[in-house]
Amino acid sequence: MPISSTATYIKPSKPKTKRSPLLLNALSMLLLALLILMSLSLGVADFSWSGLWQAITQQSQSDDLQLLLVSRLPRTVAIILTGASLSVAGMILQVVLKNRFVDPSMVGATQSAGLGLLLISLYFPASTLLGKMLFATLCAIAGMFVFMRLIKYLPATDILMVPLVGIVFGGIIEAVTTFMAFQTESLQMLSIWRFGDFSSVLAGRYELLYLTGGLAFIAYLLADKLTIVGLGDAIATNLGVNKQSLIWFVILTVAMISSVVVVTVGAIPFVGLVVPNIISRMMGDRLRRSLPAVALLGASMVLLCDIIGRSINYPFEIPIATVFGVFGAAIFLWLLLRKPKPQPPINEGT
Amino acid sequence: MFNLTSNSSTLSPSTAHTSISPFKKTKSLLLTLMVTSALAACSPQGSETEQNSATDTETAAETAQTQNNDNAQASIQANNARVTIDSVRGDVELPANPSPVVVYDMTLLQDLAALGITVDGAPSNLYLDNLKAAVSSDSPDVGTVFEPNLEALSALQPQAILIGSRMAPKFEELNKMAPTADMTLAADQTYEMGKQRLADLGKLFNKSEQAAKLQQEVDDAIAKAKEASAGKGNGLVISVAGNKISAAGEGSRLGFVHRVFGIPAADTTIEDSKHGQPVSFEYLQKVDPDWLFVLDRSAAIGQEGLAAKEVLDNPLLHQTKAWKNNHIVYLSPDAYLAFGGYYQWMTDAKTVTEAMSKAPKVAAD
Repeated sequence: MPISSTATYIKPSKPKTKRSPLLLNALSMLLLALLILMSLSLGVADFSWSGLWQAITQQSQSDDLQLLLVSRLPRTVAIILTGASLSVAGMILQVVLKNRFVDPSMVGATQSAGLGLLLISLYFPASTLLGKMLFATLCAIAGMFVFMRLIKYLPATDILMVPLVGIVFGGIIEAVTTFMAFQTESLQMLSIWRFGDFSSVLAGRYELLYLTGGLAFIAYLLADKLTIVGLGDAIATNLGVNKQSLIWFVILTVAMISSVVVVTVGAIPFVGLVVPNIISRMMGDRLRRSLPAVALLGASMVLLCDIIGRSINYPFEIPIATVFGVFGAAIFLWLLLRKPKPQPPINEGT
Repeated sequence: MFNLTSNSSTLSPSTAHTSISPFKKTKSLLLTLMVTSALAACSPQGSETEQNSATDTETAAETAQTQNNDNAQASIQANNARVTIDSVRGDVELPANPSPVVVYDMTLLQDLAALGITVDGAPSNLYLDNLKAAVSSDSPDVGTVFEPNLEALSALQPQAILIGSRMAPKFEELNKMAPTADMTLAADQTYEMGKQRLADLGKLFNKSEQAAKLQQEVDDAIAKAKEASAGKGNGLVISVAGNKISAAGEGSRLGFVHRVFGIPAADTTIEDSKHGQPVSFEYLQKVDPDWLFVLDRSAAIGQEGLAAKEVLDNPLLHQTKAWKNNHIVYLSPDAYLAFGGYYQWMTDAKTVTEAMSKAPKVAAD
């Protein structure tokens, strides 16, 4: 199990056994295209591709085209953006923290965003969606900043300490949020937000998510530098990479992606944890190489889970958070319990 | 959380003194963090407890005195009569005209308000104005509809406690304080059971005649709603919370639209769960009901923000018959919070009657 990225660096023989990214990405792309087609065809309202074709060829107004543009396409795009950006956020977080077991909901980002959302809804109920999102993002940044300070004091030898502290930290923030919600009788409102669900996505109600796509793309542009930061302080300094500013970039990116997702669709557990782990096992941690695969697989997995949630109780829905929770937990357990290759973690000291 | 506090507070001094290795340091840091947060969370309650215990003896003495007085009065009035009323856990015997009486349910409070009875203890944060008449102005805060404040209860020493569905899980705890009647209404029998509850409350507070009169008003209003809605097409009941939509089936608490007012359900396959089945806007377009009955759940629980009206204003909804004919009826918050209560029936029956009496009949197909 490649516990830290440094392991791949130290053992140059490793990448040889990794699968070819080109083939993998092509397959991933094919899978995603298939899922997109399914997602577009699946829904409660009547929709037919032939009707759509007629509408396009005959330049006539049709319900099929409207349905596609208003409901099916927005939902599919929202899912792809959410899945891809959450996975990318998880991946860069794992590489920079040199820890395979963290994701945005384990560093306090998701929980802080939720707290921010509650605070602004209680004190400025009239604020716009953008205002809410900005405040939630600020809170997520603050939460992550506190977490980064906290883990500075952790012993570098214990790989599980960071996620454990993250879980405790997130738990404390969540407890404070729940306590406040309880006192103000907004527990039900809170549970509605916290539960990731794409059923209400329509044209005009998800566009903020494009921001997450942009952030994920910027992360890809900075991929090489982020990989170097993941190799440790000494190497980063030697190669002239400004570690501090890159870490800030990661904090900002992860905080913004998690808060935009929480504000628009709710929290989806495990995405940022499971997807990067799977890809990292196959392709290693060279971000330039692995980030596209992470984004593709993240989008496919979330899309698949949403399709399942839409179809097993048709015409009613099962929220994505439930479906992904079940699948994600199973995959994560499998990743944990698979026989790890003995590899001493190498630490650069923080 | 409380266990954790006591554990960590006993541990933290020792770890704080010996924090040499980084691991120990982390541990103490974590512990301090936990303790501080735990303390912060508990402090308001803590101080309350102190205050209460300080005045406890005083209050107890006072209560004993008032109780004596009350008992004396009651014995003159009703010879300590006891009344048997219907409850979810079988018949319960309560003192007639109980005083002090604590009520933890909005449906019951509504009926009591209509009967002109004030209670001595009611939960805080009652969103509905129509039931506030039942709560005396100096009523102590005895908790919320979900969670009793046991200290306040014990200070009040009630003779009877009446609870509904939201407090039902705490029945045992409350029954130790005072005879408790669980007067929950089953979601699929809000009319029948609501009728029983109103009659029982009348019996309990010696106002049976007035209760019968109120029931007659309710029945009349419902009859009018039935008349107005006959032959006007089918309906779908949804609740809107935030930007999410759930469809409510016939057996849910919002299903009274079908069950009691007799409006045919546009979709009879909806399973009954507490908060309905999550649905998409495409579902609403496909089911295409003649009437859409909407509960704005966020507004009902006092949350500002995205109103149901804005959520429903979208191209898919615009295609439905209900939207085109302006047949969207907003149910009262009471339908969600105090389902089966007197004002709920009066309000919703009136809303439905007004909306549907103007509409032309729909040819049955």
